[in-house]
Amino acid sequence: MRKLIATASLLAIASATNAAAPPQLTAAQHEATHAMFEHIVDIPTVIGRHRVPEEAQYVADQFKAAGFPEADIHVVAYHTGSATTGDDDTAAVIVRWRAAGTPKAKPILLMGHMDVVEAKAEDWSATDPFKMVEKDGYYYGRGTIDMKDGIVAITQAMINLKQSGFKPKRDIVVLFTGDEETNGIGAKNGATQWLDLLGHPEFGLNADGGGGSVNTDGSPAGFTMQTAEKTFAGYTLTVRNRGGHSSKPRKDNAIYSLAHALDKIEAYRFTPMMNETTRAYFDGRQKLEKNPLGDAMRRWLTNPNDGEAADFIEASESEVGLTRTRCVPTRLFAGHADNALPQLATAMINCRIFPGVDPNAVKAELERIVADPTVVVTRNDDYVASLASPLRPDVTAAYTRAVQALHPGQPVFPEMSTGASDARPFRVAGIPVYGTNGGWTVTPIDNRAHGKDERLPVKSLYDNVVHWEMMLRDLAGK
Amino acid sequence: MKRVLALVLATALSSAASAAVDPRTVPTKLDPAWQAKTRAVFKQAIEIPSVHHRGQTQRVAELLASQFRAAGIPDADIHFMPYEGLPGDKTTALIVRWRSAHPTKKPMLILGHMDVVEAKREDWKFDPFVFREQDGYFYGRGTSDMKNGDVATTMAAVKLMSEGFKPDRDIIFFYSGDEETNGQGATLGSTKWRNLTDAEFGLNADGGCVSYDRNFRPLGCGISMAEKTFQTYFFTTHNPGGHSSRPRPDNAIYDLADALEKLRTYRFQPMQNDVSRAYFEERSRQEGNSQLGQQIRAWLANPNDGAAADAIEANPLEVGLTRTRCVATMLSGGHADNALPQSATATVNCRIFPGVQPVAVQAELQKLVGPNVEVKADPNYVGQPTPASPLRPDVLKAVTSAIQKFHGPDMHVFPMMSTGASDGSFFRAQGIPVYDIDGSWGISPDDERAHGLDERTPVRSMYDDVLYWEMIYKSLAG
Repeated sequence: MRKLIATASLLAIASATNAAAPPQLTAAQHEATHAMFEHIVDIPTVIGRHRVPEEAQYVADQFKAAGFPEADIHVVAYHTGSATTGDDDTAAVIVRWRAAGTPKAKPILLMGHMDVVEAKAEDWSATDPFKMVEKDGYYYGRGTIDMKDGIVAITQAMINLKQSGFKPKRDIVVLFTGDEETNGIGAKNGATQWLDLLGHPEFGLNADGGGGSVNTDGSPAGFTMQTAEKTFAGYTLTVRNRGGHSSKPRKDNAIYSLAHALDKIEAYRFTPMMNETTRAYFDGRQKLEKNPLGDAMRRWLTNPNDGEAADFIEASESEVGLTRTRCVPTRLFAGHADNALPQLATAMINCRIFPGVDPNAVKAELERIVADPTVVVTRNDDYVASLASPLRPDVTAAYTRAVQALHPGQPVFPEMSTGASDARPFRVAGIPVYGTNGGWTVTPIDNRAHGKDERLPVKSLYDNVVHWEMMLRDLAGK
Repeated sequence: MKRVLALVLATALSSAASAAVDPRTVPTKLDPAWQAKTRAVFKQAIEIPSVHHRGQTQRVAELLASQFRAAGIPDADIHFMPYEGLPGDKTTALIVRWRSAHPTKKPMLILGHMDVVEAKREDWKFDPFVFREQDGYFYGRGTSDMKNGDVATTMAAVKLMSEGFKPDRDIIFFYSGDEETNGQGATLGSTKWRNLTDAEFGLNADGGCVSYDRNFRPLGCGISMAEKTFQTYFFTTHNPGGHSSRPRPDNAIYDLADALEKLRTYRFQPMQNDVSRAYFEERSRQEGNSQLGQQIRAWLANPNDGAAADAIEANPLEVGLTRTRCVATMLSGGHADNALPQSATATVNCRIFPGVQPVAVQAELQKLVGPNVEVKADPNYVGQPTPASPLRPDVLKAVTSAIQKFHGPDMHVFPMMSTGASDGSFFRAQGIPVYDIDGSWGISPDDERAHGLDERTPVRSMYDDVLYWEMIYKSLAG
């Protein structure tokens, strides 16, 4: 699940940088990147469509063709499923690029996911979400920003490095999972039973996090490095009723009770919260904002109990989800026939919980908000609270150098992601994870992950390959 | 679809003084030889499982046709009309014309249906398709809905033919084969087959008009002569959607919930017609000085007294009888648990007051929910408004005289508006007034088992219904 960049209106800041000029892709590398991207965007790796194994095999084949030893390339089939998502046979790709000689340190884990969120052709404006189209300087298609661009960037970067004769001084291990958007079984396995295959990495770099944006006027809006993420948790509201014949409506109706509960959730705001990452983020942001939004950030940083200031920040399109837990309904189901009163009505509530808060406490809070004993609140998963990763100077420096070489003038911030990703089980297992993708979009018009007409600026795809090459040279080449 | 009498718990009735006799214990006046004939045909009819898609309706048609043929109706006047009900359901209608040698009036149409609702052996105490007589009842699927009416209307005619009765108008029998599912037979019968069915008016044997309460007090005979129009609408909201970690201020599910909240509290304009006025006059008499009785009298005295109409509508006995009603019956929305919904749809089922156009209701709903909610009529079933059939003195007199002969002067006959829809609606829509007048009866609510478990009809009700229809034929065609 890709982080959506939260920085919509940063002013351009001059950033003194001594970064070396970034490497250039050869025409052949450019062409290979395009071909790989088009191939995998066209595979509808949605849960239930059974297509992730095909994509996994394709990605593994790219590594094989580039000369990585077959013994270190694994397509690991596994099962994913839950009551709300349905089931699928999916797969992960694990590639281990071993250090030349004795490794200088424990491996670096490179992370991504190959699955995508459902997309319906009838909901999209013009293009088929599973037929990549290049138009007006963009690649359109499901997964173009979440996150098949990251899969391609890591894969092509490793191929380019291999071709250039680069010899890593520590192992670089790739883990691409096949169910991040649904059940996260791949990441859970990665952080437990596959740890030996992964060589017990020291830390992870996740392409499903980080990245940058530019404003519609072309000015830089900042790059972020993800160090924390909210906890993803799903809940179901269920209302049951005796039902009956629709020609004789009853006073009580499962659908109306559910609608009323949803109205209450719409009006509710959770208590504002701040942690180290978000404090650093808002401190950086407020320096650039001279407007009322900046004033609100300054007030809130000075007084974390200034709820009004936090509410003002949360209401800004660029800061949604960064000041507190948020919950929103995402799906509805009710009734069994158009001429019968509903016996059952349910809504899925998707919550993004502030790090450290127990999802069970949020369940209790939802019950208080709804305040209707006929509306039953249940959890859809057993996720535990996510944790933040401590800032590492080497990762921060490598990320900043790559960003500033490719995008002079772009500031870099730490960031708490409002989305959840495969990073969670690794962080819980004591392996810090940093979202360090190098892709970028135009904000806010390209914020379309999970939505309709998802798209990626064409240039971003090739920048991202170079970005990962630079990061890996920096972190595994010294 | 059997009309369910709403008068389940009518309070003190006028004739409480007279000692109530169990109507089931009163001997039938049907001649024992005709009892035996009726029972034999009824048994055969019940044991044919004429459920949709089982291909058995033709056998019921042949059974009824053989009775007419044996009584002297020429084959030229017996028409088997094969057609498709639900997709893939091969069924049949039966049309029989009993000609008058010297007709003095336009024909009279007798309506019934030969199909029954599904019944499962494991749900019932006995096999639903094995005819059974026990404790004064005939048991089996279709004993009350409505093979009893098929048999009564047929046997009454056959009996009169054998006695040499000469009708002074043609009597046309129309038995459809998919009333419980698609109503295609009635649609064809009222249009394409009109040359065979055209008549001055129709008498529908679908559902007895008479009932008693558990203390054997007469609850009256309600003649359905108007019915509300069935129309389903879809409310749909659209939104660009996006990632659920960043809720937008606008949300398709919230927009739909707001619309449903408006629908929940909305009340259409109260309306009366001749039929509903006559019904409420009878109800007012039954209710006496109860609160409901006073409310009904207030509304009858002043049809603009909306408060009185609202109070009546709110009574569980009278739901749907004072106006158009619409109710939400199904919901669907969203496409993934972790994505903001791009659309959400509610199915809204309306029962429209006779004479009101579905497009007018659509416009009213659209005005109610505002321009951000799309309101569309279900394209698969476009409701045809049916005019209330005029109160025909000849029909009312014939029914009253016959009903009171069997049940005494305290069994009042009054008009009703049905909130459901039956075959009659298709003929009303095409200009043939229809009156639901079957003379079968039961104890309310114990014998109201149409569509349900252990369906049954009192033995006497079956036999007396033959005599009842004999009186109706003599009275209206003699």
